[in-house]
Amino acid sequence: MPGSSGRARGALEREVLACLAAAGRPLTTAEVQAGLHGRLAYTTVLTALTRLHAKGVLTRQPAGRAFAYGLAAEMDEIPASLTARGMRRLLDSGPDRATVLASFVADLSPEDERILSGLLEERGHAEGDERT
Amino acid sequence: MTPAMWAPILAAVVLAPAGSRLGRRLPPSVSVPLLTLAALATAVATGFVLAVAAFDAMAMLGPVAALGHWSVASVRPGGTVSIMLDVAAGLIVGVLLAAAVRRATRIGVDLGHAVATCRRLGPDAGGLVVLRDDEPDAFALPGVRGRVVVSTGMLRMLPPDERRVLLAHERAHLAHGHQVYVQLAGLAAAANPLLRPLAREVERGVERWADEVAAAEVGDRRLAARALARAGLARAKSPVDSRPGLALHAAAERGGVGARAMALLQPPPRRRRWPAAALIVVTLVAIGGAALTGSTTEDRFERAQADYALALAR
Repeated sequence: MPGSSGRARGALEREVLACLAAAGRPLTTAEVQAGLHGRLAYTTVLTALTRLHAKGVLTRQPAGRAFAYGLAAEMDEIPASLTARGMRRLLDSGPDRATVLASFVADLSPEDERILSGLLEERGHAEGDERT
Repeated sequence: MTPAMWAPILAAVVLAPAGSRLGRRLPPSVSVPLLTLAALATAVATGFVLAVAAFDAMAMLGPVAALGHWSVASVRPGGTVSIMLDVAAGLIVGVLLAAAVRRATRIGVDLGHAVATCRRLGPDAGGLVVLRDDEPDAFALPGVRGRVVVSTGMLRMLPPDERRVLLAHERAHLAHGHQVYVQLAGLAAAANPLLRPLAREVERGVERWADEVAAAEVGDRRLAARALARAGLARAKSPVDSRPGLALHAAAERGGVGARAMALLQPPPRRRRWPAAALIVVTLVAIGGAALTGSTTEDRFERAQADYALALAR
């Protein structure tokens, strides 16, 4: 798999944080390893988790013989205006605003919606073919 | 107005429809810088020739001519039609300059907000900040050290491999300075409304650019297209009450998520010479027209001053 093993440190840290945030509960190193795409060494994941904990991005608690890592509590203390929604309202383009936010996906037209739904369905079929 | 003065205006008129079409025939990493450069050069050149025309009109006024020590008769041989054009140019350049200043202020204020927000954000992992918010959302926030902001709602919607696409896409915006191109092109469009389609194309282009970078990083274009599709549909299904109607419409217009996904299902765009060359030629015509206007105007006023001095001596 190109790219899955040779990620830069920053990219791996982002993926680890994203994985924990998506899980919504503290995860052990092995669980994070399983939740990341591609085959990463256990020690690689552990190093990233330890570094993020040291930075204060993650908290950890003992879970059996290992640690479980979760998002730091500080994230909850971010002012209410700084939810993603609040920031968008604050910074997003109005007719007279400079567009400073670069969104991953903009809002869809009905045509976009049709194309994208088709694309995901097509994937379902392709997977079915692969399995048989 | 002299023929050379029309060159930048002609360039803007040509770029309005042709710029986007040429841009789409190039890889976005090539088209975005070229289109931004074309927009900026054309806007500056247009402003310059209009200002010169306005100056010509003012130079005809007796007190101004006396102040500048030039002969009104030799400043320009043009008739009344030409003078009317010059006066109109003066009015237009005033309005456009005001619009450009307003836009520049707006950009400064909004970027300032973004930078301040970046600073207030909590600890990050490699520039990523996760916000607890059920509405699926993800964006890059420019700053001294820009951040990628993603909501937990968005992360939960995507499988791990598609999360990589999302992170790589947003990171690409920051790593390649996409914000700079978008704001410069926006400024050019404010200074010359003919260039608005070009600015929109730059906004579209940076999204395509980030898509291409993300697809290359995960090594799978189809996967990148799927991530776009899933994230787009997730956002479409979320309640839209928090988004103002006008912005919503504008975003749908500029995003074209469907078209972006389709582009990812095609092979990566090839580097072609002729569309790039065509964009450069139009840019050079605009710059050349302004440069020529500058030098002939200077000559004209030098001659008019010489005539004035001669008349005085007599």
